[in-house]
Amino acid sequence: MDRVSFVAKLDDAVQFGLDWLYTNGAWFFDAIDDGLGEVYSGIEWMLLSPPYWVMVVLFGLLGWKTVGVTFALLAGAGLLGCAVMGLWDETMSTLALVLSSVVIALIIAIPIGIVAGLKAGVNRYVQVAVDVIQTIPPYIYLLPGVALIGYGPATAMTATIIVAISPALRLTALGIQLTPLELVELGRANGASSMQMLFKIRLPLARPSIMTGINQSLMVSVGMVVIAGIVGAEGLGFVIYEAIRTLDIGKAIDGGISIVIVTMVLDRISQGLGAEGAMAAQ
Amino acid sequence: MQDASRANTSSDGSPMIACDGVWKVFGQNSDVALRDMRDNGLTRAEILEKHNCVVAVADATFKVARGETFCIMGLSGSGKSTLIRLINRLIDPSLGQIVVDGTDLGPLSEVRLRRVRSDKIGMVFQNVALLPFRTVTENVAFGLEVRKVAKSERLATAERVLKTVGLAEWGDRYPSELSGGMQQRVGIARALAAEPEIILMDEPFSALDPLIRRQLQDEFIDLATRLGKTTVFITHDPDEAVRVGNRIAIMRDGRIIQIGTPEDIVLRPVDDYVSNFVAGISHLHLVKAHSVMFPASEFAAAHPRIDLSRLPSVAPDADVRELMSLSVDRNEDFIAVKEGSVVGVVTRRSLLNGILGREVSDMTSNSGDPMTGTGGQAWIG
Repeated sequence: MDRVSFVAKLDDAVQFGLDWLYTNGAWFFDAIDDGLGEVYSGIEWMLLSPPYWVMVVLFGLLGWKTVGVTFALLAGAGLLGCAVMGLWDETMSTLALVLSSVVIALIIAIPIGIVAGLKAGVNRYVQVAVDVIQTIPPYIYLLPGVALIGYGPATAMTATIIVAISPALRLTALGIQLTPLELVELGRANGASSMQMLFKIRLPLARPSIMTGINQSLMVSVGMVVIAGIVGAEGLGFVIYEAIRTLDIGKAIDGGISIVIVTMVLDRISQGLGAEGAMAAQ
Repeated sequence: MQDASRANTSSDGSPMIACDGVWKVFGQNSDVALRDMRDNGLTRAEILEKHNCVVAVADATFKVARGETFCIMGLSGSGKSTLIRLINRLIDPSLGQIVVDGTDLGPLSEVRLRRVRSDKIGMVFQNVALLPFRTVTENVAFGLEVRKVAKSERLATAERVLKTVGLAEWGDRYPSELSGGMQQRVGIARALAAEPEIILMDEPFSALDPLIRRQLQDEFIDLATRLGKTTVFITHDPDEAVRVGNRIAIMRDGRIIQIGTPEDIVLRPVDDYVSNFVAGISHLHLVKAHSVMFPASEFAAAHPRIDLSRLPSVAPDADVRELMSLSVDRNEDFIAVKEGSVVGVVTRRSLLNGILGREVSDMTSNSGDPMTGTGGQAWIG
């Protein structure tokens, strides 16, 4: 068997596997499509139903609480800019995609990260899985998504969730692992159960690390959501994708600026939330 | 091994902590290594080489009376930190029995063991181990929180205990705002808050500067006496051991080589290692009158013309410092030791030997002393 025929056979096998999955797993992928679609439209509806200036004020207040006055004003001005460029709906769609993906990713990543941080045996396998996920170029995840789930936000979310799991999981596991031995001993000497140890000692100490993980997950999600424009996800990614296809440079730049604004707002607010926890520990 | 003078033994007289033939060997094949050491008399170094196992504690047997402060003293690596963790079974023994207040810890389930730790045994750590994200009060309340005591009650208790260690004003601060000495006071308050009967102190004052260390030692002695807690106190500092301990156990290479009162350890070290260890300790407040006196009858036989009742007198546990000042102030060669009646006499010569911490033979040889030949027994006291 020469190499060409081997590769052809491999491709056939992959294609066959996908076909098989598509036929036999249709109910499963339909459920993912529906479920993720519901989460996304729910969050998008929350962000889009108030008038844009209400949302601008709300983001300003959130920025003021978590970071400070200057940032609050800048964030408000930036988001207002998005509205002025006529990209308000797209900006909120992108935000909805990011938030819904990251929330789901965290629901998966943090518990697994905790278990991995506690059990070295589990951690070995989890780290290998996370390594594989992180080395594969992120847009590869879109392909099976498109094949099995179809065009639309659910595919974008699936790919984004996969990418967003890694940072939060790694940093949660690390934070749990790094609990100082003397504090573990303190818990044991006081007769703490393993649940008390986790919730009263390990998790509060790991909080800065977990918050950094959440921040990183948010950041990779924004990048992924933009790429996901090519699989029919709504939002800024789609705007840029369309602008590139029609060589509308002005529109592409507008979209780019909006993405930068969304990224900075998410970054600073999530860092601010982490810093609050760290301040108490100072 | 004498009983502790300060310890108030309970009605049934049973010890609070009893360790019997306790071993701890770390490493794979620790069982084989243990047997090789116990039965074939290999040394710790040989065990390490032959079995790649570390013998942390070898055949430790001791009892701690209720209310007693029991010091375990040794250099780093002598096994004292392992030994104290065997008492609350943070480390499981390889062999041997540990009984705490009548309960054998060996067969206890994890749940019951946790209850013994949370209800009976408090622990104070060398590195303090305060939770940085909790206020001082919340840190002190930690043990009660683990025990699921209601929030208002545990915070009230924590504040009360903080008052006893002199930190009433600091409850709402975070540990990082406190100095090292204050942090360790919080550590002590935390151990006391759950009202345990036993407190394990793992080199609690080692990291503090000498002045603060001394101050905390005094406060601790005061607290331990007042609250009647049974304390196991680990230290590598002989001065500290002598100051705080009712009795002292000296560890070397995992073995307890001597147990005794501070006076025993300083005046009657079992070997050169112990005597070197304690060489720097001042004898003046350790040596008591009853250790340097001659029995009254023998003294009277040798000095029939001296009226014992007219001599200046002290109690049997008066220390050498008191004897010295009395002797100098009154310009007296002889001081009577009274416990009801006169039980013995301290001569100027026996006093000087006591100050020097001399052995019996030194005192009785080369003698113009009237007590030649019998002084040795008096010295043993």
